[in-house]
Amino acid sequence: MRKLSATVALGLGCIAFGLLIALIWVPFDTDTGLVERSRGRYIVGDSLAPTLAAVFILLSGLMLLVERRDGDARPSRNNLIFIGVMIACGVLSILVMRYSGPLVALLSGADEYRLLRDTAPWKYIGFVLGGVTMICGMIAFVEGRFSLRAFWIALAAVAGIILLYDVPFDDVLLPPNGDV
Amino acid sequence: MTDLGAIDYVWLGVQAVFLGPEAFVLFGIPVSITLLMVAFGLVLGIVVGATPGLGGVIAMAISLPILISVFGFNSDALLPVMGFLIGVMKGSTVGGAVPAILFNTPGTPDAFMTTLDGYPMARSGKARKALKIAHFSSVSGDTFSDIVLIVCAPFLAIMVEAYLDLPEKTALLILSLSFIAAVVGGSAAKGLLSCGLGLLAVYIGSGEDFYPRLSLGTDALSDGIPVTAAVIGILVLGAIFTELEDLWHQARESGRIEVARDEGDQRLHWADIRRILPFVGRSAFIGTAIGALPGIGSTLAATIGYATGKRFYARRKAPDAPEFGEGAPEGIAATEAANSSVSGANLIPVLSLGIPGNTAAVFLILAAESIGGFNPGPSVFKFSTDLNPELVIAFGLFTTMILANLLNWTVGGVFMRSLGVLVRIPKQYLLPVVLLLTLASLYVEETSMSAIWFAFGFGVLGYFMRRFEISPLPFVIAFVLGGRLEDTARQAFSATGGDPFFLLKSPVAAAFVLGAVAIVFLSLRKPKAAQS
Repeated sequence: MRKLSATVALGLGCIAFGLLIALIWVPFDTDTGLVERSRGRYIVGDSLAPTLAAVFILLSGLMLLVERRDGDARPSRNNLIFIGVMIACGVLSILVMRYSGPLVALLSGADEYRLLRDTAPWKYIGFVLGGVTMICGMIAFVEGRFSLRAFWIALAAVAGIILLYDVPFDDVLLPPNGDV
Repeated sequence: MTDLGAIDYVWLGVQAVFLGPEAFVLFGIPVSITLLMVAFGLVLGIVVGATPGLGGVIAMAISLPILISVFGFNSDALLPVMGFLIGVMKGSTVGGAVPAILFNTPGTPDAFMTTLDGYPMARSGKARKALKIAHFSSVSGDTFSDIVLIVCAPFLAIMVEAYLDLPEKTALLILSLSFIAAVVGGSAAKGLLSCGLGLLAVYIGSGEDFYPRLSLGTDALSDGIPVTAAVIGILVLGAIFTELEDLWHQARESGRIEVARDEGDQRLHWADIRRILPFVGRSAFIGTAIGALPGIGSTLAATIGYATGKRFYARRKAPDAPEFGEGAPEGIAATEAANSSVSGANLIPVLSLGIPGNTAAVFLILAAESIGGFNPGPSVFKFSTDLNPELVIAFGLFTTMILANLLNWTVGGVFMRSLGVLVRIPKQYLLPVVLLLTLASLYVEETSMSAIWFAFGFGVLGYFMRRFEISPLPFVIAFVLGGRLEDTARQAFSATGGDPFFLLKSPVAAAFVLGAVAIVFLSLRKPKAAQS
C-alpha cells in the first residue's frame, strides 16, 4: 500500500476540519444563521463569516490534494519531541507563575494573595519562579544539560524585566498579578 | 482654522513632529519627543537587526506595550509611538547586513543574499567597505521607496474613496486576502489555509448577537482572542520555537567565529558609488514595485533584485572582477537596495487602503488601534478645509520616515559598523529570555493570563505552520482584517436591500471578486519558490 504523503494527509485533515466547522461547530455554537430577517429587512447573521472561514479551509484542503508540489514538508519525530518538551516546559512555567504566589501566601499563613499582589516580595514570587523555570528549562533542553550559568542568566533576565516594567510604572502589574 | 490646503496639511504634519511635546532643550533648541523616539527606534532596529535570532518584529512586539504605558492613550502618543516603530522597521533592515557580511549569518531572513558577496568580501579583508556599500545601498533603496509612498499613497486613497462604495470595498478586501494567500509562501493552498485559520480565529467570541459565537460556552473564548496575543504568538513565539529547535539540532557547537582582519583601502569612493548606482537603481525600483503589493516579502525582492543584478553584471563586468557570489560589491548593492526599498512601499496599502502588507504594518495598525485617533485607510486622506487631524498624523508619519532616513544616512552607518560584537551572544540564552520578555510585554498590555495562554497556544500553532511550510503572514493579516471584512459586508448587504449578489452587481466589485478567484486558481498551476 502506498504511504500517505504529509500534504495529502494535511489536505484531508483540512477538508474534515472545514466540514466540522461548517456543519457542526457553526450551526450549534452560533445563535443566528447565515442571513436573518430583522424588522422586515434581511441582515447578515453571525454564522456567515465563520462559514466563509470554513469554506476557505475546506477549499485549501481540496487544493492541497490537487496542487503540484516540490516537496512534502512535515514535522519529523524530532520536531514532535522538541515541541512536546517546549509545550511541557511552557505549561509548567505558566502554571508555576500563576499559582506559586497564592500557594506561598497560603502556606505561610499570610493574607489572601489578592490583597498582597501589589506588595513586594509577594508580587514577584510567581514571576520569578515561573520565569526562571521557563528560561532555565528551555536552555537546559537545548544545551542537553543543566548549567548554573543558565540559572544566573534566567535570574538576571527576570530581574531585568522587573526593572523594565515594575519599577518605573506604578500602574503596571507583572503576571499573574493583574487578574488573580 | 479654515480653508486648509494640501500644503498646509504637509506643513502641519512637519510641525507635529518637530514642534510637538518636547523631550529636552539642546543649546536652546527644543528637541521633540517624536524626534527622539524615531532616533531610539532606529538605534534599537539596527541593534536587533544585527543580532541573529532577533528582528524588527520581536522588537516591535516588546516595545509596543512599554511605549503605550509611557505615552498613554491620547492622540499626542501617536507620532512618538508610530515614529519609534518606523525607526525600528528601517533600522532592522539595515542592521541585518552586519552579521551577514561579517559572519556569514544573516541577521534577518532577507539579508541571506547579502551573505553571498558580503562574506567573501569580509574574508578578503574588505569587511568595512562591504558594510559601507550595504549601508549606502540599503538607505538609497529605502529613501526611493519612501518617496514613492509619499507621492502615491494619498492619490490612491483619494481614488479609493471617490470610486469605491461598500460592495467594492468588501470585494477589495476579499481580493487582497486572496492575493496574500496566493503569493506568500510556496503554495496557494497553504496560503489559503493560513488565511482561513486567521479568519476563523478572529470570528471566535465576536459577532453582533448576544451569544458570543463559537465560544463553546466558555468564558475564555467568549471575549474573543486578543489580537496582540494571536499576532505575537504566531509571529514571535512560533519563530522563537523554530530557531531554538535549529539550535537544538545543531547542538549549538558551530566552533569559534573567525574574523578576517581588514586589509587595504576601506573607504567608499565616488568611483565605487558610480559602479554600484545602476544596481541600486534597478533593485530599488524592483523592491518598491514588489513592496507596493500587499503580502509580498522583502526576501522575494532581494532574490529578484540579486538575480536581475547578476544578469546585468555578467554583461558588463571587467574580466578580473569577482563574479556575483564571490565577493562582488554590486551583489551586496543589488540585494540591500531591493530588500530595503520594500519597507516604505509596503506602507502604501496600509495607508491608502487600510490593508497591512507586512508584519511591520500590522504593528503600526495595532499601535493605531491601541492608542486611538488614527484609523489607517482611505478616509485618512480627506483634504477637508476644516482640520482633519488624521491627515496631519499621516503627514507627520511621512515626516518621521524622512527623518529616520536622514538619521540613517548620517549616523546609521557608523553605528551599524560598530555592532559586529552582537553576533557573539549565544542564541540559546537569548531566545528564551526574549520569549519571557515577549510574554511579560503581552501581559502588561492585556493584563490577563488567558492572553499568555492564547499566545503560547498560537506560538505552537505558528511552529507547526512553519514545519508544514505554511506562511504565518496570511493568518496574521486575515486576523487583523477579518473584523473589517465582516463589518463592511454587513453594511454593504444592508445598503443593497439584502441583495445576496451584492458583490457581483457593480462591475468593479465583480472584477475584484473574479480577480480573487482567478489569482488563487492560477497560482495552483505552478508552485513557487518559498518567499516569505
